Amino acid sequence: MKEKILIAEDDFTIQTQLKTLLTGNGYDVCAVTDFSKTLQQIKEFSPHLVLLDIRLPGDSGFELCSQIRAFSDMPIIFVTSSNTDMDELNSIMLGGDAFITKPYNTAILLAKIAALLKRAYASGQAEILIWNGAALHLESSFIEYNGEKAELTKNELKILYYLFKNAGKICPRNDIVDFLWDNRLYVDDNALSVNITRIRDKLTAIGLRDFIKTKHRQGYIL
Amino acid sequence: MSGKQYLKNIIPAIFIHLLGLSALALFLLAGGNTVPAILFISAVWLLVLAFYFTAAYCLRKRYMNKLLHMAEQLEERYLIPEIMLLPDQADDRIFYQLLKMAEKSMLEKIRQIQEERKEYREYIEQWIHEVKTPITAMKLLCENNRFPFTRDILTELENINQYTEQALYYARSEHTEKDYSVREIKLSDIVHTAIADNKYLLRQSNMAIAIDDTDAYVYTDDKWVRFILNQIIRNAVNYRAEQPTLHISVTKTNSQVILSVRDNGIGIPSVDLSRIFEKGFTGQNGRIGKNSTGIGLYLCKRLCDKLGIELTAYSEKKGTTFSLSFQTNDFITGVQG
Repeated sequence: MKEKILIAEDDFTIQTQLKTLLTGNGYDVCAVTDFSKTLQQIKEFSPHLVLLDIRLPGDSGFELCSQIRAFSDMPIIFVTSSNTDMDELNSIMLGGDAFITKPYNTAILLAKIAALLKRAYASGQAEILIWNGAALHLESSFIEYNGEKAELTKNELKILYYLFKNAGKICPRNDIVDFLWDNRLYVDDNALSVNITRIRDKLTAIGLRDFIKTKHRQGYIL
Repeated sequence: MSGKQYLKNIIPAIFIHLLGLSALALFLLAGGNTVPAILFISAVWLLVLAFYFTAAYCLRKRYMNKLLHMAEQLEERYLIPEIMLLPDQADDRIFYQLLKMAEKSMLEKIRQIQEERKEYREYIEQWIHEVKTPITAMKLLCENNRFPFTRDILTELENINQYTEQALYYARSEHTEKDYSVREIKLSDIVHTAIADNKYLLRQSNMAIAIDDTDAYVYTDDKWVRFILNQIIRNAVNYRAEQPTLHISVTKTNSQVILSVRDNGIGIPSVDLSRIFEKGFTGQNGRIGKNSTGIGLYLCKRLCDKLGIELTAYSEKKGTTFSLSFQTNDFITGVQG
């Protein structure tokens, strides 16, 4: 089941782009369109999480937050451009779960959303990604194929995670490095090559030959 | 009050006395008095006169010195009419009245300027918050629609964002009120956020980044330190050399946690090093066309001073190290044990 996220954001471009971003990351997204009936829309959509701007036409984000808290414990992320102490303090006092300032790093935003959803709804299941018979175990950091396992380092796991998530699509080297940077792993292009070589050796050892294919001048593909 | 000036002021009075004395002497002489008697009378007159002027001078000087001393003790000197007593002498009262008038108009002017400054500051803050909306929109547009040139746009957006932050923190640093809140912060979180803020800039310049154990907690305001780190990181990019590297590390002593940011860039000439935190100072590096404004580091220093962080720079020919020293032996840790 897709998790539902509601966006309360009055800037049209940000609203549509956030929708694109979140939909692309596997969420069911609804954006508030009529700010005179925000609360009603929230109740109708009954989201798992709300992204709330503070300055909104109609009720402010703070007011909405306390209204939501009257009937639900759903995670609320304040997303705002005003990074004053007062706003941050208010958002915490009123029961907001996170406070993110614009312009935000999308990776950080997505990570916050995922973490809050996990905490609030404890999806429990150990995360395993599967592609062509190979299973990537995220929690215990190894890859399994036909009963054979290979341990992965932090860098290798993240690279494989990105490739698995985008399986079947060409992943440009630059995008992989970007993704690693978003995960606090500051590798450069050379280090990526080294890591890919190491991963390939490990994969070959468990019988996965040519699992990662190189697309010349474009990147890698599973 | 100088004696000489006082003497000048009383010349007319002395002159009149001398005139009166001469007239009296002539009158007494015509009346058949002896010269010694006249001389005696004159001497007594002059003695009394001298005594009067000296006493008046001393009293006046004491009063004036008291006023001067009071004014010197005041932080806001223009408030002197508030604490001085109503003078007894008629002309002093006029001066007192004048001072009161000057003070009043001064206070009005100050209030007006303060109001204007406050409004301007609020406008700047509001403007910055408004401009963040299109920056966010552009960032999202770029990240959702990747083309080869979007990376360059994203780099420029990082530049724009830091310039707007600079304006925001400039406005905040001018303000005398406390505008930050101190909390327990994990240093590594700020470090990683600052790197994320400059991701595209750092990637574009092929900066290699190494982070040593930054697993320390400090009491500070994360937003301010994030801004300071951003500025230091961006300087490292601007003044980089071949194969740039950035090394971020933390050292702990008994009373301090020191966050060091070391680069292998072109460094800062030793003659400039002591002046880099001055407002508007650009130095030799600024003259080689790196878009230096002399505001960035000045702001960092100001913010650090307010937060009680010691900011130091070290450079020897090649490479620069900026260190932020957070105090840990303050009362917060003391209370928490």
